[in-house]
Amino acid sequence: MPTQRPRPWSRPIPPATVIARALHLAPETFWMVVKVLIVLLGPLSLAALLTWVERRGSAMLQDRIGPNRAAILGRWRLLGFPQIVADGLKAFLKEDLVPPHANRVLFWLAPILAFLPAALGFAVIPFGQSFQSGDRTYHMSLLDPGNGMGMLYPMAIGALAVYGVLAAAWGSNNKWSILGGMRASAQMVSYELAMSLAVLAVFLTTGGYDPHEIIESQRGLWNVVPQVVGFLVFFTCMFAETGRLPFDFAEGESEIVAGYLTEFGSMKFALMYLSEYIHIVTASALVATLYFGGWRVPFVADPGPILSVLAFLAKVVFFAWVFVWVRWTLPRFRYDQLMRLGWKVLLPLSLGNFLLQAFLIYRRG
Amino acid sequence: MAVIVKKVELSWLDRTYVWPVLKGMAITFGHFLRQITTPSRKRFTIQYPDWKKEMPEGYRGLHELKRFEDGAIKCVACFMCAEACPARCITIEAEEFSDLTHTQGFEEKRPKVFKIDMLRCIYCGYCEEACPKDAIWLRKDYELAAYDRLSMQYGKWDLMNTYADQDGKLRLSEDPTPAAPRP
Repeated sequence: MPTQRPRPWSRPIPPATVIARALHLAPETFWMVVKVLIVLLGPLSLAALLTWVERRGSAMLQDRIGPNRAAILGRWRLLGFPQIVADGLKAFLKEDLVPPHANRVLFWLAPILAFLPAALGFAVIPFGQSFQSGDRTYHMSLLDPGNGMGMLYPMAIGALAVYGVLAAAWGSNNKWSILGGMRASAQMVSYELAMSLAVLAVFLTTGGYDPHEIIESQRGLWNVVPQVVGFLVFFTCMFAETGRLPFDFAEGESEIVAGYLTEFGSMKFALMYLSEYIHIVTASALVATLYFGGWRVPFVADPGPILSVLAFLAKVVFFAWVFVWVRWTLPRFRYDQLMRLGWKVLLPLSLGNFLLQAFLIYRRG
Repeated sequence: MAVIVKKVELSWLDRTYVWPVLKGMAITFGHFLRQITTPSRKRFTIQYPDWKKEMPEGYRGLHELKRFEDGAIKCVACFMCAEACPARCITIEAEEFSDLTHTQGFEEKRPKVFKIDMLRCIYCGYCEEACPKDAIWLRKDYELAAYDRLSMQYGKWDLMNTYADQDGKLRLSEDPTPAAPRP
């Protein structure tokens, strides 16, 4: 058997570089494009899948069957998957109606304002472990670590989502919508504080607010274990943030028709609806990053790019499922109950958690 | 009368709200698992146009006018059903006929017209109970729909053939013996 001599031309070239060269792009540019595509299309397709999960999953939770009639070419039903396509097609083909007394500018702007923050929030979240290829380090998040925004960015962007709701509510010129918008803003105010304090406690124990640092600090122990209270508060606030069922006051279909969505139809409604699901994906990613070690795999120190991405995806999908699961378990709160929970329970809990973590750090020296 | 509202004392665990939520989630997840592991044939939902429910005994659905072996109608046009009908949906016109095998040459009665207005019928089954000859049955077919009101007027031959395909009998459109001309 002839010995294999290392030849200069047989030096392994990373596959990403090969593709980048074939496209006449610098590897950095190519990787950036790939990341943009992943970060934009990943949550979008996950959200589309979530609509299916929501409809079929809720059906299973309630001993029903769920949509299973939509079929490709009238033949392949595929467990109701074509329903996603059918819904999308229907949304596109329906008449795009603007009520006569609506504020047209706001009415057109509202779906965009609702959609953009939901889609943007994902930008800093690392969806996998950074890896070395050739002599370069590739980071698996749209914005590289040390960008100076860190976890503050998704928090800030997430808070902007209420403007979409408010614009929709105000622009519709409908009393139900106004009530929904008012509730949404009140809810946002009462939950944002508790949520921020819970996140602050994580920043405190990490010693930084960059998501990469936060994940790095969860090497041995995930943040849920020392900060159960913080996790519970944050997760509860995420329900309020996404406007999901125990706190879907902005919609409240049994009380205020459909709240801020009342006047919306066709693709505008579909965009608002989709942005809710993208919000869920982003919220799940945030929960996974802050409290469940992001892309970390239990008992594996360095999972590598593929395993880490899969682990992160599994966590996101799990928490998205919990969002669906909770929605079909709990009824809606009353308005005053919501306010009481926000100000009298979650805020002190969050503050207590923050002080406890600070005290523990002080004790440790 | 005053209603005494019993206040339920919640334990501290129940008042955390988190624990009851977890219990509720366990219940819904139990339902989820049970439903997802049940084969779809055994689920509660009957997926209607594909599968149909077997109607219970004594179900009162679409009527059938019964017939003898030779295809003669059992109805003797006694008008008892029309009298019993609370919705007044049965219209009968009688005629006479001679059938040597059954009647030894005497003249017998049978309906020339037997009409039920299915839009008026309330499926109470009184006609079935009133019938002395057991000639009208309410059976298990419930899929009655039409595009216009006229198709809901069931005539004699419609009623005799309502279950012909199900029972594997011939569809009739003629009496085996001609009507006797009236003197």
